[in-house]
Amino acid sequence: MVATHLSKVRRSILPHAGDSWATIAGRELSGLSEQEAVAKLQSWNLHVFMRAPAPAESPRAGNPILPSDVIFVEPPLAKA
Amino acid sequence: MYDLIIRNGTVVDGTGLPAYAADVAVSGNRIARIGRIAERADREIDAAGKVVSPGFIDPHTHFDAQLLWDGCAKPALSHGVTTIVPGNCSLSLAPLKASQRMKLVGMFNQIEEMPLKAFKEGVVWDWETFAEYIARIRKGLAINVAPLVGHSVLRLWVMDGAAMERTASDAEIAEMQSVLRECLDAGAVGLSTSYVDMDETLQPVPSRFADAREIDALASVLSEYGRILQIVPEFYDPDLTIARLDQLAEISLKHGIATTFSPVFVNADNTDAVERVMARVDEQFARGARVWPQVQTRPIDISFCFSVPSLLFFRFPGWYRLMRFGTPEEIVAAFSDPERRAKLIAEAKPYQALWPRLILRQAATEANRKLVGKTLGEIAETRGTSPIEAMIDLSLEENLEAHFLATSMGHNDDARVGGLLKHPRVHIGASDGGAHILSFSTYGDTGYLFGHFVRELKTMRLEDAVKKITSDTAAIWGIPDRGLLQVGYVADIAIFDPQTVDRDVERYQWDVPGDGSRYVRDPIGVDTVIVGGGIAWSAANGYQEARGDVLPGARNTGPFREAAE
Repeated sequence: MVATHLSKVRRSILPHAGDSWATIAGRELSGLSEQEAVAKLQSWNLHVFMRAPAPAESPRAGNPILPSDVIFVEPPLAKA
Repeated sequence: MYDLIIRNGTVVDGTGLPAYAADVAVSGNRIARIGRIAERADREIDAAGKVVSPGFIDPHTHFDAQLLWDGCAKPALSHGVTTIVPGNCSLSLAPLKASQRMKLVGMFNQIEEMPLKAFKEGVVWDWETFAEYIARIRKGLAINVAPLVGHSVLRLWVMDGAAMERTASDAEIAEMQSVLRECLDAGAVGLSTSYVDMDETLQPVPSRFADAREIDALASVLSEYGRILQIVPEFYDPDLTIARLDQLAEISLKHGIATTFSPVFVNADNTDAVERVMARVDEQFARGARVWPQVQTRPIDISFCFSVPSLLFFRFPGWYRLMRFGTPEEIVAAFSDPERRAKLIAEAKPYQALWPRLILRQAATEANRKLVGKTLGEIAETRGTSPIEAMIDLSLEENLEAHFLATSMGHNDDARVGGLLKHPRVHIGASDGGAHILSFSTYGDTGYLFGHFVRELKTMRLEDAVKKITSDTAAIWGIPDRGLLQVGYVADIAIFDPQTVDRDVERYQWDVPGDGSRYVRDPIGVDTVIVGGGIAWSAANGYQEARGDVLPGARNTGPFREAAE
């Protein structure tokens, strides 16, 4: 097998169990205030943030993040 | 003495090597000889002027339900397709407990646009396990079926309602592994999962509640069997698609399995998306990962009427909710109420380029029938109104049965689509055969490949196009003994005229259980289709023998053949 270099792509993570915007912000963007970090995460992840809310009686009500979601932790890369 | 001889044809054998003149003899269900054959056979076919190739393999279909009432998967078989892969996008019809049937029907209706009435009136639910489903569809099977296990269904089986609420426990994951093994032992070709689909309440399907350790555990089972993982990534966004294919690549490398993702569309709104995705595919293949992108051949055309929800309206939440959750009476009421009508029109207005070019394709009333074939722009002009108003008015006049056609909605840049189709790492597929039956015809993509990209545009050699949809597909999916015209291989064969082969115009056909209808396309230029050595369909005599099989069938521990590049 030939080991090759992978070019840089937009950095993302998969959520940990029970993750919310705040816990991801604390882990991935620790240099920012929670409010600022959460706002950035939400703006970079509209596919999650804009998701239709779960029903009120659902255990995941109030948290749109799914265990399988890709969460970007940086903005889109500038075009080369 | 052979059972069947195909004489005087031009053999395109699926390897990509140049075509050659030869006869092909079949004994039982296998190809017995290729060359000049002096002996006679019980049955002979004159293929002079025609191509004799391996039967085509369609790796992305949703024929799961149709196979229960139609073992030919009509009209796919008549296009030369001899093997189909149902169970894509996390949805299969097994394993499925009786209590979960209506949940699955709801998901099929929402995601694949399969009519509820077809399930209610066309399906006798007499199976639960995968083995029982396989036994059920084997009866009268005329086409080969390589079925995937749907991840959402697997979760439902093990977790019931909790499958749509949370991650699985270690014990539940172990049970999913065990059930998946049972499915693979019964003949499943692999597992499918989805990261985008929503159920009938517009909530995420069960597979989307799986975390990485669950996917990893299921992939480890696929590895035991050398079977494939299919996913639907967030295909509308290249960054998300790349993140998913990186995830797939790690799974492929860790577990040594092939993976495939679909669809990949050429999108005029995001011109460099495909190039970025393909560059990443190339990098991951260079690392040793097998991450096959699937690309469909046909451009996106969407038909709709307001009596059923249409995917065309996904981008208009007000319209989509009305179509999805409203009764016909409620839709008529909304269209008739000036205030609600104005709101809908305001929501649709930003897409001004779309509405004037919609074509009225079907109307029942005498007054409107003369408008069929005209664009909404033309109709609006004669009525002194706007195209959106004309669409609503026509729908009211036709009791919501006015049908409209949106053509060339994407994937219609021939140069870029053609470039993708001939890319050695692109897997031609993603037909969605058997799904979206009231939005467009999912049949005839192979005819379009040959007619448009091979004959008309000369994008590809015929031999390369055949290889792409036969031996490459068999190799990627680990389907043994199919995909090549070689002695000893199973005699799945398509005979077609290379000068005329194509797909016919889209037409509306009433052949779905529950008085249902669908859009279909008939083949052009296909002469005979042979499955397992029997004549399954011919232009002269229609559907005939039923020798279809379930592939790869019982557990296959043989060597995994790679697609040649």
